Amino acid sequence: MIKPLFNLLILTLFSTIASAQNFAFGDYSQKEMDMKRYDADTSAHAVVLNEYGTSTINEVADERIKIIYEYHVKIKILDAKAFDKGTVEIPFYTESDDSYENVSEIKGITTYKDDDGIIQRAELNPSKVITVKENKYWSSLKFALPNLRSGAIIEYTYQHTTPFWDKFHAWHFQDDIPKITSMYEVHIPAFWSYNVLLRGSLRLTKNTSKLETGCFSRRGATCDCSHIVYGMENIPAFVEEDYMTSPKNFLSAIYFNLFEYTNLNTGSKILVTKDWKDIDYNLKHADYFGSQLRRKDLLKQYITPVITGQATELAKAKAIYAYIQKNIKWNGLNSRGSDDGIRKALDKHTGNVADVNLALVTALNSAGINTEAVLLSTRTNGLINKLYPVENEFNYVIARTTINGTSYLLDATDPLLSFGLLPLKCLNDQGRVMSLDKPSYWIDLVAEHRKKSTSSLDLTLQNDGKIRGTITTYSIGYQAYEKRKAIKKFNTIDEYVENLDEQMGKIKILKSEVQNLDSLDLPLSEKYEIEINAFDNLNHTRLAFNPFIFDRLIANPFKLNERNYPVDWGMPSDNRVILTMHLPENYVVENFPQGVAISLPNTGGKFITTFNVEDNGFTFSNMTQFSKSIYIPEEYPYLKEFYNKIISAEKAEIIFKKKS
Amino acid sequence: MRVICTTFCLLMLIMFANAQADYNVSLISKDLLPYASAVIRNKDVTIEVKDADNTIYHIKTALTVLNKNGDDIARVVIWHNRSNIIRYVKGALYNEFGQLTSKFAEKDFADVNAASDMSLFEDSRVKHYTPSTGSYPYTIEYECELRSKQSLNFDDWQPNEAVGLAVEKSSFTFICKPEFNIRYKEINLPPSVITGTTKDGLKTYTWQVTNLKAIKEEPYSPNRDKYLSTVKIAPENFKYEGISGTFTNWKELGKWTYDKLLANRQALPPETVQQVNTITNGIADPKLKAKKIYEYMQNKTRYISVQIGIGGYQPFLASEVDRLNYGDCKALVNYTQALLKAANIQSWYCVVDAGSRKVSLLNDFASMSQGNHVILCLPFKNDTTFLECTSQKIPFGFLSDFTDDRTVLACTPEGGKLMHTPKYTAQINSQVRKAGFTVDTNGMLTGDVTTIFKGTQYDNHDDLLDEPVNEQIKILQKRYNAINNLDIGKCNYKQEKNELPAATETIKLSARDFATTENGKLYFSINPLNRTIKTVRDVRNRSNPVYINSGYTDEDEITYTLPTGYHSDLSPLNVSVEKPFGTFKATMVLNGDKLIFKRTLQVIDGTYSKDSYHDLVEFYQTVVDADNYNVTLVKN
Repeated sequence: MIKPLFNLLILTLFSTIASAQNFAFGDYSQKEMDMKRYDADTSAHAVVLNEYGTSTINEVADERIKIIYEYHVKIKILDAKAFDKGTVEIPFYTESDDSYENVSEIKGITTYKDDDGIIQRAELNPSKVITVKENKYWSSLKFALPNLRSGAIIEYTYQHTTPFWDKFHAWHFQDDIPKITSMYEVHIPAFWSYNVLLRGSLRLTKNTSKLETGCFSRRGATCDCSHIVYGMENIPAFVEEDYMTSPKNFLSAIYFNLFEYTNLNTGSKILVTKDWKDIDYNLKHADYFGSQLRRKDLLKQYITPVITGQATELAKAKAIYAYIQKNIKWNGLNSRGSDDGIRKALDKHTGNVADVNLALVTALNSAGINTEAVLLSTRTNGLINKLYPVENEFNYVIARTTINGTSYLLDATDPLLSFGLLPLKCLNDQGRVMSLDKPSYWIDLVAEHRKKSTSSLDLTLQNDGKIRGTITTYSIGYQAYEKRKAIKKFNTIDEYVENLDEQMGKIKILKSEVQNLDSLDLPLSEKYEIEINAFDNLNHTRLAFNPFIFDRLIANPFKLNERNYPVDWGMPSDNRVILTMHLPENYVVENFPQGVAISLPNTGGKFITTFNVEDNGFTFSNMTQFSKSIYIPEEYPYLKEFYNKIISAEKAEIIFKKKS
Repeated sequence: MRVICTTFCLLMLIMFANAQADYNVSLISKDLLPYASAVIRNKDVTIEVKDADNTIYHIKTALTVLNKNGDDIARVVIWHNRSNIIRYVKGALYNEFGQLTSKFAEKDFADVNAASDMSLFEDSRVKHYTPSTGSYPYTIEYECELRSKQSLNFDDWQPNEAVGLAVEKSSFTFICKPEFNIRYKEINLPPSVITGTTKDGLKTYTWQVTNLKAIKEEPYSPNRDKYLSTVKIAPENFKYEGISGTFTNWKELGKWTYDKLLANRQALPPETVQQVNTITNGIADPKLKAKKIYEYMQNKTRYISVQIGIGGYQPFLASEVDRLNYGDCKALVNYTQALLKAANIQSWYCVVDAGSRKVSLLNDFASMSQGNHVILCLPFKNDTTFLECTSQKIPFGFLSDFTDDRTVLACTPEGGKLMHTPKYTAQINSQVRKAGFTVDTNGMLTGDVTTIFKGTQYDNHDDLLDEPVNEQIKILQKRYNAINNLDIGKCNYKQEKNELPAATETIKLSARDFATTENGKLYFSINPLNRTIKTVRDVRNRSNPVYINSGYTDEDEITYTLPTGYHSDLSPLNVSVEKPFGTFKATMVLNGDKLIFKRTLQVIDGTYSKDSYHDLVEFYQTVVDADNYNVTLVKN
């Protein structure tokens, strides 16, 4: 009974100390050195023993007020797989000359047992710290801690200063290795206010705040500070799962967003973010956004020839969409704001996402088609918080046009996307509609189209054991988009078909016809005349035939017994195949598998097969349908089992027997 | 003759200068269009060695991009660093009809750090520019000049380096002073150099190609250097980072490397020497001593790459590695060499082109830039052992497929020596598996699998060993993908860390619904453990010979115990193929409730005629068919 009491004592003691203090640099205990594995997670290759950070806002040497962030971590390296933790890279922003960020006060030390088992220390030599200019905007500081071995403890600390008050350091409690203690202490003078947001499912084990009186002063202006400590203990490692959206949405972390500050010269309060009204106002007047949307007249000269002769509003909109797709090549950069303006993007034929899509919005409006811009955050960028507005959480912008009461979401950055089809990366919860004359509002960003294909096969078993016939496939929605991308990887359709033929092994393509490759609004149609080298000859009493000729599922994509995060495919899918088989006179269907009909709960999906024996042959049909985009962890076991059943069903073979 | 030629060349130059190039796309010959995403209209590369520490590259090119796939080829990428400086770059874009649409200059380029991810620091940067126009086709024309402060390495000339790139005309000129001597090697080119003298008395060497068709990617092709046209150039006298040297063969290059880059970098602190003595104390056999020292080095160090200036070729001091416990391949080899020296064991620093594709240094052409990695050779009497020094766990004397079976340069005090690393043959690289499975009436599978991996197949499982059991299970479920609902009860690994290492994997497993029971029938896949799913892509009108980089042998034997009372009314699996490049055998024997499945697949490395490609495709089709064989049993 003594033990719990003792623990409690330590905890109280600990929290009083921790509320005000970093842990001492270079300290270690014999117990930490002797540690062979981390009991709470024996799969860990390393564990953070202690992690501490602090952020303050203060005047620095050059008399400017900056955010000073100090980071200090001590990591136990359990085995060689975690040696990468000993190579550290700290990025910092260095674009403009007068407001650049800075990293300094780097100290590092490795504590390890030498060959004789004696504990040794090796300090990081400052001359081994390297600064690299990565690109126009970013530099990084890199170093490798010396004398790393399994069982070593590495420790390092650095200071990062930034003049950008809206870049108050977030704190990531959770990482790919577990942590025993992680503590973040912030001192925020009352001249600045931040919104604080905690993400992830883990709870803070410490959250104290108190007022520090008169802690900040500059040229006579004095204020108090909030001193807040956030802490977590025994934080598990984050384990990524397949088919999930951005881990960012689930990782436990705390974020700070500048909400207002006081101009220290005038004493007036500057509101950075208050509510959507302010963001709307800012965006409407920003060069990188609203100004671009107002350039309707400027785009007239480009647009007029494009829409000449187009009768309906929809036809006009499609023509403009195709024009922008073709004429501004996306440079691969995501952005919610235009870089050099849409005019320049049109003239130079290149631009970021906002250049392309704001040009689209403006072009449509200049043709009199009512269109708004929609800000969003891509899947990898994570979900937008809905508690309070933060403009820089958005990293992408698309167009939303309304024609005859129907709305279409448009992204012109990829010339293969059909009108109204959003790429998967944009299908992320909700987007914020921005227009010049209305307050902004949320809309859902869900797939309007399925990933759909239907194939029909008409095949005949020949006397030489080969199967001949035709296959016709229509790809619709996302399936058509993916197919088009695959075909366009080749220089011509012929080269695509040749490659397909070469890859299909026993199936030879005798003739092909691919239609609507460039008519993005129509289903992509492929028609192939094929020959399958099915049997060496027909001198057998029985022949086994598996009707799942294409894309037969062999392995279950889901292996885990349970999941923590949803399976998110982004869109529903639907795949249908109808096969008609004609047999030679002297063969009959002896045996065919039972039809199967299975479904997911809550109409989440279906898998259906049917067989019908007919004169001299049979027909077989199959439908696989997933009607949801997202399956929550509770649905996961059903989804996994659904796949098992599909795999079992697809093993079934039809037996043909020679008539005696 | 010489005078005439020079005049002719000069005339040509003048003509080029005056001629208004016509980039109209319709002028491209139809013959060049198949498989082409882009076509080089005209490219001139000139390398001029002004002085041993001053080489000027001048590149002028015009490239037509036919469709979106050609954009990557059209991207202008210029590597540079402290000793390779861009003097200027400028260019222009033309539309389909050859009309100028826009111009670009150095300010339009982005400049980024180009160190590889593996590297902590590398003095290497890239300036790049991606052209964009509203439509295809278009033509990009650009010109750039670079200065390199050395004359040891010259870029190879490879006129059709990318897949999907056709060439109308491409030329290469090397210019140097009369006293600057070079050696050159023409690969996959008819002897075609034109030599001459400029009016200033400089020597010129010129190569030119016209009308090369685009290369199509062909599976099982030899290394690109074996079929692409290439010219390599090496100097006789050179300067590199202020160090001068001379070489005309590997012996001299190895000697220079040893003398100027390696010698006197191996001093160790006395404590470390003492440590070496302690750990080797009492061991008489020098090889066993070397093994002890190697393992000591492995435990103490880790691989981190830092390359600056001469550091690209010269290792850190051994004493520095001793202090920091990290280094790149050169530093770790040099350090190991120093440790061995402390125990009076001789070893050689060997330059190699590493990678799973086997690339040998050219026997008949010595040049500095052919290697990318360094290993260590122990030249014992009657036994040459090679060591890979950048891994913490690879067994002593084992190279894996990273550096096996290729010619390397040993840099010894007596000079360079070409050596060949050991080859792991198809017999050595084996995976031998025995499984005992039981299938019950519900289709449930239970059983044990034991697999022994050797040679290059040993490596496949090395990573798994350091993982905790729950991670191992996750990985195994993916590896033995063809068994659904795979539950791993137990898994165990045993390694024999010899020069030819072996790893034994033992798994206890179960899987529900392994077999499908329906209508009094029982179906299951006969080969759930080692399955080839994808066939080899057929290639019509193949142009390359068939090349198999590395051989291996897989043997599987599964004994199934089945529920009683079933029989088969289909012919049993019985396949056997034998070809020069491999053999395959798969059989099944059903005897009462016992079904024995045996499978042997051997693939033999080597180069085979292009005509045998069709056989290879059929061979793999046979393998895939047999591997996909479903057992169908009927209730008696």
